[in-house]
Amino acid sequence: MADDTKTAEGKEYSRREFITGIGGLGAGAVFGGFIVKGFMLPDEVYAIPASEGYLLVDTKKCGGCESCMLACSMVHSGRSNIALSRIQITQNPFAGFPNDMGQVQCRQCPYPSCVDACPTGAMHADAAFGNVRMVDEAKCIGCERCVNACPFTPSRVQWNFEDKVAQKCDLCANTPHWNKNGGPTGSQACIEMCPMKAISFTSAIPVQSETGYVVNLRNSHWGTLLFPTT
Amino acid sequence: MAQGGYVGKILYVNLTDKTTEEIPTSRYGQWGGGHGIGSAIFFDRVKDKTIDGYHPDNLVAFMSSPLSGTLAPSASGRTEVTGIGIQSYPVGWFTRSNFGGRWAGMVKYAGWDGVVVQGKSETPVWLNIVNDTVTIEDASGLWGLNTHETQEEIWSIVTGQPDVREWWNLDGARDSGRSTQKPAVVCIGPAGENGNRNGCLLHDAGNGGGQGGFGGVLGSKNLKAISVIGTGSVPVADPAALMELRGEIMSKYGYNVDDPVLETPFPGVNLYGILTQQPGYGPLLWAAKRPARPQGCMGCYRNCRMNHETGLANGNQCVESLYFMAGEDQDDVMRAVTLLDQMGINVYDVFQHEYLFGLYQQGILGPGKQIHSELPWDKYGTYEFMEAFTLAVAHGTDIGADLKDGMTRAVVKWGRWDIDTSNGTLTRPQWGFSEHYDPRLEVDWSYGSLFGDRDINEHDFNWHVHWMPLVTGAVGQDPLMSAERMAELLGAATGTSADAFDYSPEGIYSDARLDAVTWHRYYTRFWKQSISFCDWAWPNLISYVTPDNVGGTPTYEPALFKAVTGRDMTMEDGLAIGRRIWNLDRAIWVLQGRTREMEVFTNYVYDVPTKAPYPLLAKEDGKWGYGIHVGRTLDREKIEDMKDRFYKLHGWGVETGWPTRATLESLDLGNVAEELAKADKLGS
Repeated sequence: MADDTKTAEGKEYSRREFITGIGGLGAGAVFGGFIVKGFMLPDEVYAIPASEGYLLVDTKKCGGCESCMLACSMVHSGRSNIALSRIQITQNPFAGFPNDMGQVQCRQCPYPSCVDACPTGAMHADAAFGNVRMVDEAKCIGCERCVNACPFTPSRVQWNFEDKVAQKCDLCANTPHWNKNGGPTGSQACIEMCPMKAISFTSAIPVQSETGYVVNLRNSHWGTLLFPTT
Repeated sequence: MAQGGYVGKILYVNLTDKTTEEIPTSRYGQWGGGHGIGSAIFFDRVKDKTIDGYHPDNLVAFMSSPLSGTLAPSASGRTEVTGIGIQSYPVGWFTRSNFGGRWAGMVKYAGWDGVVVQGKSETPVWLNIVNDTVTIEDASGLWGLNTHETQEEIWSIVTGQPDVREWWNLDGARDSGRSTQKPAVVCIGPAGENGNRNGCLLHDAGNGGGQGGFGGVLGSKNLKAISVIGTGSVPVADPAALMELRGEIMSKYGYNVDDPVLETPFPGVNLYGILTQQPGYGPLLWAAKRPARPQGCMGCYRNCRMNHETGLANGNQCVESLYFMAGEDQDDVMRAVTLLDQMGINVYDVFQHEYLFGLYQQGILGPGKQIHSELPWDKYGTYEFMEAFTLAVAHGTDIGADLKDGMTRAVVKWGRWDIDTSNGTLTRPQWGFSEHYDPRLEVDWSYGSLFGDRDINEHDFNWHVHWMPLVTGAVGQDPLMSAERMAELLGAATGTSADAFDYSPEGIYSDARLDAVTWHRYYTRFWKQSISFCDWAWPNLISYVTPDNVGGTPTYEPALFKAVTGRDMTMEDGLAIGRRIWNLDRAIWVLQGRTREMEVFTNYVYDVPTKAPYPLLAKEDGKWGYGIHVGRTLDREKIEDMKDRFYKLHGWGVETGWPTRATLESLDLGNVAEELAKADKLGS
């Protein structure tokens, strides 16, 4: 796979275009300390089209109510189960703000290690849904290489132990238990259900940092509540 | 339609034998969930209802609802606790408490609709529930730890890490599930371990189950904590409908943090949050002075609490937050609240420390005085005093030796109960509970508390009839709606009448008033205590942000219930189940010794007129307004007359207040009638 120089659509990418595509500033954060298996850098590279959608989470606006997790699991699976949510909120109720909570969403990596790791093509960038990285469940063999390949902790890929497939955030492309259309051109359940409006959507690849996409969704009305706006 | 909400089994633990049993939830499905199921299991399994709360046979239920752990807005987070309490005076009534957070959802993810404990372990234990696996663990390493330390230690034991924030396997199998979450733990602190009547339950940082003294009850059972972690699913009958309903509720009644319809005109005046329901307004009288964020229970759409930069007073709201209002430094205020939480003390029993200071000022209490205490009373108002006082209560030292039995019994022991509840310096109107709202005025609160088992702590009408005019008046605004409109809306939303909400000197005794009190008892027993709609968001009787001010009640509760469970349940169906639960509880109190003669307020309620202006809805001289009601009391004779009519309305014998056989049989409680008959306590 590392020797491929064509995408699924047969387009060739130059190295320059590839680096541009992943937002060069963040290259260190994406690859930081992590060696891509079989990635070869000179003139011919393996590349996947960037996702046309990304979830942004304002980590200081989140109230820890876990409504996003309840919504995500339910619209995808029809059941309410935070262990099956593709977005995770981790908390320590005794810790001081802002280290009391973490918001763990898939970054739809420009270079998706999960897609690279999948031996069957189940994990793929779906052209019908703006190249969102998602699992074709029929092809998943349950090897969990994708779960382990995610460079972030906790892994943004889950092993769905009830349905026995890997799963991850698909920007609600495949939500049979919701009346709205999802995917990058549609709606996302977590965004709609978050009572703090701490999650938003963008179609432009976000700037990366060590800890994630940095985003501030708090306006002056948040300041009226005497919460920090920076 | 698919059935949903329930996960199908309840865990019963016998702490004496160290055995467990699975009770099929379907056996108790008719009771709805939460309180209804807790009362029904209690009635079935506690043969002798006259036992004391400390008796090993006392059965304590921690019960979720079908909505727990789902997206039902502000109806997913609370856990209901039932059992014989040890706080109320002179009898520890069968009572209830509840707490927020994430325990109710997590117990269902583990595959249980609730956990019931009975018996007493010889040595300290804790319950470790990991999905289907239930282990009764030795708690000798936890006994003595405060509530926060206890939870951190349990997290380490169960997850292998002190602060897990990554996927961890619940056991060795690939498909038993992984979680990023910490176990949800409800535990007791030193106060509960010592059997304090003001020992509370504590979950996460600030979710307290205070009233009833269940911390002391668990302490008497040597049960330190119940920890649950699960990776299972809660079935939802109609997920798409639930998404739509929640979206509607959020857009109609929610606080839009980016562009609110109603915004506080005074940043920092969190009290205004009662009207806006803005995130983080929970502490009411203080706002964040350092960086903070809102914090909400699982599935809430309001997020009324806060987490702070210091980590102090995380997750606190309401009276817990007000424990040390004399503190000049807010960090000290928050430190005192945190210590209270860590010791596991029911704030509602000890926050009247000002009364004790009054005794000190009178020379009755202090070093070498009639009530001996060497606490630093000369430093009252400082953190040093609060720390010493809180630790004394938790450990039963100094004046804590008396206060561990609750302030009421301490005052009785000191010989001051009659005098100070007569002169009104100790405002404890019924069953030894602190006054919450003025019993002489907000009678749905005082009557409901009197005919029940505790201070009701149900703000359904109170947010509107009292707080709205108080808050707007305090900041110099006009009320957000006319009094007449408020009465009309309340009458319509409850299916009673506008006059049911007349708090005038005549209105508080009227038959219409009793309709409101009755609706309140039935609605809360079912929709709130059994189906876990949270008191700080439901009922939604009036909205201050919709164009016509009509709220979400009675439309949305039945709709949400149906979306999750697949069952039709009208508001009236729910009220009928509430009535059934209310009568079951009433029967338990009767078996415990309730008589008509006991149902009286302490003397100040009748003899000491109100002094402070108290904004409250009332119709006077035919006109609706928000009066200030100074100089008012309740009238003993009128209360007795009201009791006649209330008992009759509820189908209880007028002379005794005991349910009649006819009433119980009409509610399909024939077995309850039999038990009352055997005790010769049927109403006639």
